[in-house]
Amino acid sequence: SMHPASRVVASRCLRKTLNSRLSSLASYDLFNPTPEHAQLRSMIRNFCDQEVLPQAIEYNRKEVFNVDLFRKLGDLGVLGITVAEEYGGAGMDATAAVIVLEELNASDPSVSIAYLAHAMLFCNNLNQNGSHELKQKYLPGASAGSLICGMCMSEPGAGTDVLGMSTSATPSEDGSYFTINGTKMWITNGSLDGTDTGDAFFVYAKTGKGRAPGDLSAFVVEKGMPGFSLGQKITGKLGNRASNTAELVFDNVKVPATNLIGKVGGASLCMMRNLEIERIGAGAMAMGTARSSLDIMTKYAAERKQFGKPIGEYGQMQKYISESYSQYMAGRSYLYNVARQLDLSTYGNGLDADGVKLFCAPIAKNIADRAIQVLGGNGYTAEYMVEQYWRDSKLGEIGGGTLEAHHKNMWRDLMKRRNIL
Amino acid sequence: MRVLVGVKRAVDYAVKVRVLPDKTGVDLANVKMSMNPFCEIAVEEAIRLKEKKVAKEVVAISIGPKACVETLRTALAMGADKGIHVTTDVRTDQGISPLAVSNIIAHFAKNEEADLVIVGKQAIDGDNAQTGPMVAGLLGWSQGTFACGMEVDGQKLILDRETDSGTEKLSLKLPSVVTADLRLNEPRYATLPNIMKAKKKPINTVDAASLGIDMELKNTVVSVEDPPVRKAGVIVESVDELVNKLKNEAGVI
Repeated sequence: SMHPASRVVASRCLRKTLNSRLSSLASYDLFNPTPEHAQLRSMIRNFCDQEVLPQAIEYNRKEVFNVDLFRKLGDLGVLGITVAEEYGGAGMDATAAVIVLEELNASDPSVSIAYLAHAMLFCNNLNQNGSHELKQKYLPGASAGSLICGMCMSEPGAGTDVLGMSTSATPSEDGSYFTINGTKMWITNGSLDGTDTGDAFFVYAKTGKGRAPGDLSAFVVEKGMPGFSLGQKITGKLGNRASNTAELVFDNVKVPATNLIGKVGGASLCMMRNLEIERIGAGAMAMGTARSSLDIMTKYAAERKQFGKPIGEYGQMQKYISESYSQYMAGRSYLYNVARQLDLSTYGNGLDADGVKLFCAPIAKNIADRAIQVLGGNGYTAEYMVEQYWRDSKLGEIGGGTLEAHHKNMWRDLMKRRNIL
Repeated sequence: MRVLVGVKRAVDYAVKVRVLPDKTGVDLANVKMSMNPFCEIAVEEAIRLKEKKVAKEVVAISIGPKACVETLRTALAMGADKGIHVTTDVRTDQGISPLAVSNIIAHFAKNEEADLVIVGKQAIDGDNAQTGPMVAGLLGWSQGTFACGMEVDGQKLILDRETDSGTEKLSLKLPSVVTADLRLNEPRYATLPNIMKAKKKPINTVDAASLGIDMELKNTVVSVEDPPVRKAGVIVESVDELVNKLKNEAGVI
């Protein structure tokens, strides 16, 4: 038993430790967990203010992909943000990826979605699942920006029904190559200049006859492989007009067996490992436009006067803005809390990845919609950006998993749990 | 060559500042702070000297509260080798005099055996533009202010200097103090790999009070006010009336 004096000292020490622990918890910044995360955000935001935002309206109007700007992201060292340093990447975590996606999207969603397809759907997936040789072959170029890449999963006849895809990969007699046949659709970075394919793609194809996860394999297919061509650049999209979306055609494309990612039938592991960062990535993008729309409508309501006073003094404007703010903060907090705990090398929290996207995507759309309403006629024109954010944010409810797909997945995941929390 | 660069944490240039109700100064609460733009240009020039292998080491120095560490980390991420944080809790926009700042910088220029000191031409909060020239005066070094171009030639610094009537070319004998103007260069973004590398670079912390430098303000700010609201114009009926008003009312001719 303790001497009374020691007991007093011990309890004082305990209280001091507890107080300092509580105060450090209070000063923990969920959105910028380390000074390096804060510096990354500040650097990307400056870059966006100087170089991304000024070109957003023009490129959106021209429906052309700003390749030079995209390559500058390589110079900044963020294209391989989660790729191991050994292969030219930054070796950073999910939160860092979310920061870049959020900041880019707050300026120009077309740049951000090209970044998602390249950095997450290709680079991150290959970094986690590819052989050392495959990684050495593609990741240094992809991290530097000399290769601009994407991922091929959806097809004209298979979207949410992933295992319903028909693109096939048949092994050769001697097993030295696979022959890929099929068509892929909605491929971001599918073309860079509108005349030819992008540089390299993470392609999912059927190596088995059935609809089981084990029937799916993944390959890297390179630009220039005979039979691999651009079907068409998709024009007239509602949003993300300055991001090239393409149909890609595989006509007896011979792909070396060394370009197989993982094992034959191992693609579902690739998918599982990457799905979580993709979905919260989409959530990050949603929060980017949400912030911009909110910022624009709040400032406008404070300055625009009608009937002699700022329109922000009217209750309806206050309702739009305050509801948008709290939804934005709720979504952002959910997003960063999930990002914080996301281990890129494994899977296991699909429920919250789906949950983040399910919550954040409609929020972004709704906030942009309210912003247009607050800006009135000015909201209806390109100059104030909110009409672009409204059109661009709609994709969040469809691409990378439809809302309905999230419902399906989350029900399945909730059924696996004994308790909600 | 060793280079010392001053970096000030100041109100971000894009912020629309507001005056405090008691008019004692500008309201800094919750306002975005960044590295003074002219300091960024100063850091960039120093890093370029390092890349040209003219400078061996670049040391960044900042004076102010704990948050100045962020400013120093930005300089390190741009390529500076180490940082010096001189701590003080006074308002750095108006609570510390340029003379005190200059004495501190001169102290470290000697301590760090610098051959060249580069600072921004002015900070966008105080707008004093005094620190560069005062540091040169205190050290007895040559100075070139409003630099828009710079080349090192052996023991000489060839400087292009912006003036109202054009650009003048100066030849300075090192050691020198240079103040950076807008057109000197375009500062680089700190790339992500460099942000990570900067984590390992050292920052030495020194209390301003321990330096034995007089920190007392000799000039105090009496009041800070908004610029007067612009009055409406007046429509005149004739040229004679215009000339009369310009001469007798506005006093401009």
